[in-house]
Amino acid sequence: MNRQPRALLSVLLIGVIALMGWLWWRSAQSDQDDATQIVVNEVSTRGGTLVSSLRSEPRTFNRIVLPSVPTDLYSILTSSKLVRVNRATQEVEPALAESWTISPDNKTYTLKLRDGVTWSDGVPFTSADVVFSFQAIYDARTESALNEVLRIGGKPFVLTAPDARTVVINLPGTSGAGIGILDNVTVAAKHKHEAALKAGKFKGELAVDTPPADLLSIGPFKLTSYSPGQRLVFDRNPRYWKKDAAGTPLPYLDQVILEIVPDQNAELVRLQSGQLDTLQQQIRPEDIATLRPLEQQGKLRVIELGVAADADAFFFNLRSPYWAKDPRRDWIMRKEFRQAISHAIDREAFANTVFLGAGVPIWGPVTPGNKQWFNPNVPRRGYSLDRAKEILAGLGLTNRDADEWLEDARGTEAHFSLLAYRGNSSLERGAAILRDELKKIGIKVDVVLLEQGALLDRLFSSNFDSIMFVFNATNLDPAMNPDFWLSSGAAHAWNRLQKIPATDWEKEIDDLMGTVMTNVDPAERKRAFDQVQMIFAEHLPMLYFVAPRLYMGVNARVGGLSASILRPQLLWNVDQMTVKGSR
Amino acid sequence: MTRRAAIMLVALALFALLAPWLAPYQAGEAFSGFLHAPPMRPHLDGLSPVVHPLVLADRLEQRFEIDSSRTVKLPWIERDAAAPVFLLGADDFGRDVLSRLLYGARTSIGLALVATLGAVLIGALAGAWAGYRGGWIDEAIMRVADFVLVLPVIYVVLVLRAVLPLVLPPSTVFLLVSWIFVLVGWPFVAKGVRAIVAVERNREYVQAAQSLGAGPLRILAVHLIPACGGHLLVQATLLLPAFILAEATLSFIGLGFPDPIASWGTMLAGAGNYNAVARFPWTLAPAVAIFAIVLSTNLLTSQPSPRNR
Amino acid sequence: MGRYLLRRLGFGLLLVFVVSSAALLLTRLAPGDIAAPQCLELSAEKCAELRASLGLNRPFLPQYLSWLGGVIRFDFGRSLLYSRPVGSLLGERALNTAVLAIFALLAATLIGIPLGIYTGTRAGIMRSIVRAISLIGISVPPLIGSLALVFLAARTGWLPVGGMTSSGGLELTWAAWFADLARHVPLPALALAIPMAATLERLQSEAIASASHEPFVAASRARGVDRSRSILHHAWPVSLRPVLGLYGVMIGSLFSGSFVVEVVTSWPGLGRLMFDALKARDLFLVAGCAATGAFFLAAGTLLSDLLLAYTDPRVTTGESR
Repeated sequence: MNRQPRALLSVLLIGVIALMGWLWWRSAQSDQDDATQIVVNEVSTRGGTLVSSLRSEPRTFNRIVLPSVPTDLYSILTSSKLVRVNRATQEVEPALAESWTISPDNKTYTLKLRDGVTWSDGVPFTSADVVFSFQAIYDARTESALNEVLRIGGKPFVLTAPDARTVVINLPGTSGAGIGILDNVTVAAKHKHEAALKAGKFKGELAVDTPPADLLSIGPFKLTSYSPGQRLVFDRNPRYWKKDAAGTPLPYLDQVILEIVPDQNAELVRLQSGQLDTLQQQIRPEDIATLRPLEQQGKLRVIELGVAADADAFFFNLRSPYWAKDPRRDWIMRKEFRQAISHAIDREAFANTVFLGAGVPIWGPVTPGNKQWFNPNVPRRGYSLDRAKEILAGLGLTNRDADEWLEDARGTEAHFSLLAYRGNSSLERGAAILRDELKKIGIKVDVVLLEQGALLDRLFSSNFDSIMFVFNATNLDPAMNPDFWLSSGAAHAWNRLQKIPATDWEKEIDDLMGTVMTNVDPAERKRAFDQVQMIFAEHLPMLYFVAPRLYMGVNARVGGLSASILRPQLLWNVDQMTVKGSR
Repeated sequence: MTRRAAIMLVALALFALLAPWLAPYQAGEAFSGFLHAPPMRPHLDGLSPVVHPLVLADRLEQRFEIDSSRTVKLPWIERDAAAPVFLLGADDFGRDVLSRLLYGARTSIGLALVATLGAVLIGALAGAWAGYRGGWIDEAIMRVADFVLVLPVIYVVLVLRAVLPLVLPPSTVFLLVSWIFVLVGWPFVAKGVRAIVAVERNREYVQAAQSLGAGPLRILAVHLIPACGGHLLVQATLLLPAFILAEATLSFIGLGFPDPIASWGTMLAGAGNYNAVARFPWTLAPAVAIFAIVLSTNLLTSQPSPRNR
Repeated sequence: MGRYLLRRLGFGLLLVFVVSSAALLLTRLAPGDIAAPQCLELSAEKCAELRASLGLNRPFLPQYLSWLGGVIRFDFGRSLLYSRPVGSLLGERALNTAVLAIFALLAATLIGIPLGIYTGTRAGIMRSIVRAISLIGISVPPLIGSLALVFLAARTGWLPVGGMTSSGGLELTWAAWFADLARHVPLPALALAIPMAATLERLQSEAIASASHEPFVAASRARGVDRSRSILHHAWPVSLRPVLGLYGVMIGSLFSGSFVVEVVTSWPGLGRLMFDALKARDLFLVAGCAATGAFFLAAGTLLSDLLLAYTDPRVTTGESR
């Protein structure tokens, strides 16, 4: 090479490096905040884009078929309900139904629909759409998850539409949840999906590869684009029916973007750098300290949402056939065994280790976060290793040999396996603590970590000694969770799908739940459910230790927040959220 | 240099082997009040080494303060259950990093050693047989070896591990992973051995042994493979750190050992949380240990550079 | 040259075929399948229906053959995990990995080769320092390097930690997108490049040191050519042979390293995709990833071999002239 081309090459190289450096510098500069707009009060800010995270891809956009977290979020953004249960106050609010009357026998609801509401394609929303939605839900070929929920005593509701603005719902029996039960219903457009329902193909409607132009909206936003693996972009629906108190049409935001970020660490980093305004759901306790410096700088806010409504549960398999040939059957199914375990766990230490102190001790499935239904008089078994050992001795479990473990009269060791699933740190840690604490009273626990799929398999086939699991709460009213409370329920995890109640106390709970589900007097329902919690605490089919306090990180530019402990904790009220400044 | 590297390696191996006696705490021993406790610096109080204990300042922030008014003896001398001594800090469960580092060395180095021995053995046998026999056996074995060598190691290990059940008990993991490593490692050894044997088999002493009636197995075992001794040793020193790294990678992505087994990879798995790593850098101790091992093996096998004028 | 190329092409195709078929077969044999999580919520008959509709119960051979047939037409099937055609998914991610690999190679070359030339031809304290740094560099494999760099970035905030782009990047101009990339690339690329640069440095150093002692170099000096010219024009091209040979070998370790780096820094590349596909038992996606990986491997080694043959006239491709 001669000198000249070589010099040219060096100059070129330096030039490229300098250019990249300058571009990098510029892009680093543009991260700084724009001048904040002056706002009179938070609520009147209009416009802007909100970016939230989404942890998993939606499998469908059809909430009637599958109310999973991403699908539910899609539904909140693009759909409206007949009536809405305010997730912060638990009050029932009118939505698409502007008013309603309830018949004296509480079995007929007459709803008056709002006038002038149209779908995003301009077609008016009428009572025919409501009737159609229920048809779709009850159609067996849809395989709707809502089918079981919208029944009383197994019988469906009967709907009629006397005119375009009136819907009459006849219930087969009284409903304890009242009109709030309609919070579960997603409306579907008859003019768009009728043909599919008739052909039995409603299940495939609103699939994820539907072109956004074909997706109708009756909510604050409509889907503009979906890049699989990356993001969903929603733009304002100009035909949204809702207006704020001053008469301004909602939503305030121009655009909502859901970024798909499966990894919680990456999520947090993006929140810190301002790429995300808020997250799909609560942050982990260890993340609170990470966000503190940014809080102090005024860039982020860490909001306490409240005490979680659901907590990690530890339960044994109480299905007799499983233990039929097992030498441990004499004591492992006894309630005293579970009571002893409850005494042996130091709930405060549990809260400290698993949730870094951000948790409250609990003794039952209903937590103080569920203010309306929590029974504070549930007996609390205090932390006492001596009491635990006493109870175990009463069952015949004492240390009969040289090792540290207890044995029963036949010499069988106090030893069982505990399944938990990998990837959920609070469950893994909880299981580890259980193992270590029970070691102190001489019970040997084998913690087996499984994949979620494998664990659910074992759970549903009742093939386990004990499991540590969390059942995510979607509704605070116990009448909406019959699956869990009733002995015939599919989520009655310790002994599922019983044809007749296996024990007296489960029968008692069944009867009391009948009151909760059908009695319309709130005081009666509360009294019955308080009693359910007492029975639960006595027999302990599931043990609970700590309910975490939930925290959410949100960018300081976001306003109009109404926090709830139910997911999506901030976005449930997205039509009234605002942002300051541009992106 | 080489001597120092050898000493460092032997020392590390010794630490690993003697972990149960050297480690102040058990691998799974957790102190719930000391999550992410920082390293505590020992200093001399008269003639005995002591440490100032830590006191929890803020549980949520996992912040601790040094209590200068008290001293606690080192755990090898005296144990205080309420005031554990973390010379290298504690991890997110409140377990002593130093103890887990030592036990982890045992697991990681142990696995790598087993795999290295296996790879060397099978590689030597395969390569020697190929070199001795020649012909189509030689061709076949070398083709297979070439093919395996072309593939990126981590991908092959990943695929082989991932098609097995994803969550397995630790002993099964140990066995399966070491077999996977042997499968991936033998071609490195085989190629070199084959080259040496192909040359050596024409030497007089081999021909002499053959004429004396020695069978091929005897010739291989007694003459040819030992002739590769130097090469085998070099290969072993190269394979060992590679296997340690491979185990660390597997455990890091969750396909290796499960918690609470201490291995360097599982200890690093917590480092996926960028923020935790920034605030609690002592959790990266296994990375330094791995670096030390790789450095020592590199020092051991590096050639002195040709001096120029 | 033509025959050599043809042979290498054939080898490459064979590699892609064998690797992807093996991956497909292994994933098929693996316990569990992609429908497993959904099947838990379904009854036995519905589950069987689902499995049938996804084609999971087909006997292996017909499925394999129809997949092969598709591949020839560049149709890699459909990913059940992401509900998209495998081809489009592969295209994006492979591109990301390629970007990372190219930047890493560039960085390694720009750092390693000049340093190697320096240490191979000079003496003094700087040389010892560079050699020591090189030794350390070789001992920092991508796993350790990426963890250390992530720690540094998280602590100092100089570089973004993880990811390839900042999100919300919908309407970015080309310049802004490139600038954004330029901020995210250095961390993973460096993690990959450090050991490669060190290896290159050492090899280059040795090669040029021995080349400098060749008679023709001394001859050039005797002719009056000054020292640096004689090294760069005469010694260096000869020393390139072993160095360029190393590039071929480095492709494999570049892949291995990129997997680790992608996982640690959340770089959305091929490695991460394959890992997720393997865990979910997404058959066609795994096979597609394996095929793409093998293709790049073969292409990379071919390119470096060609480069080697081109630059050193002493290398022949097995043909007589």
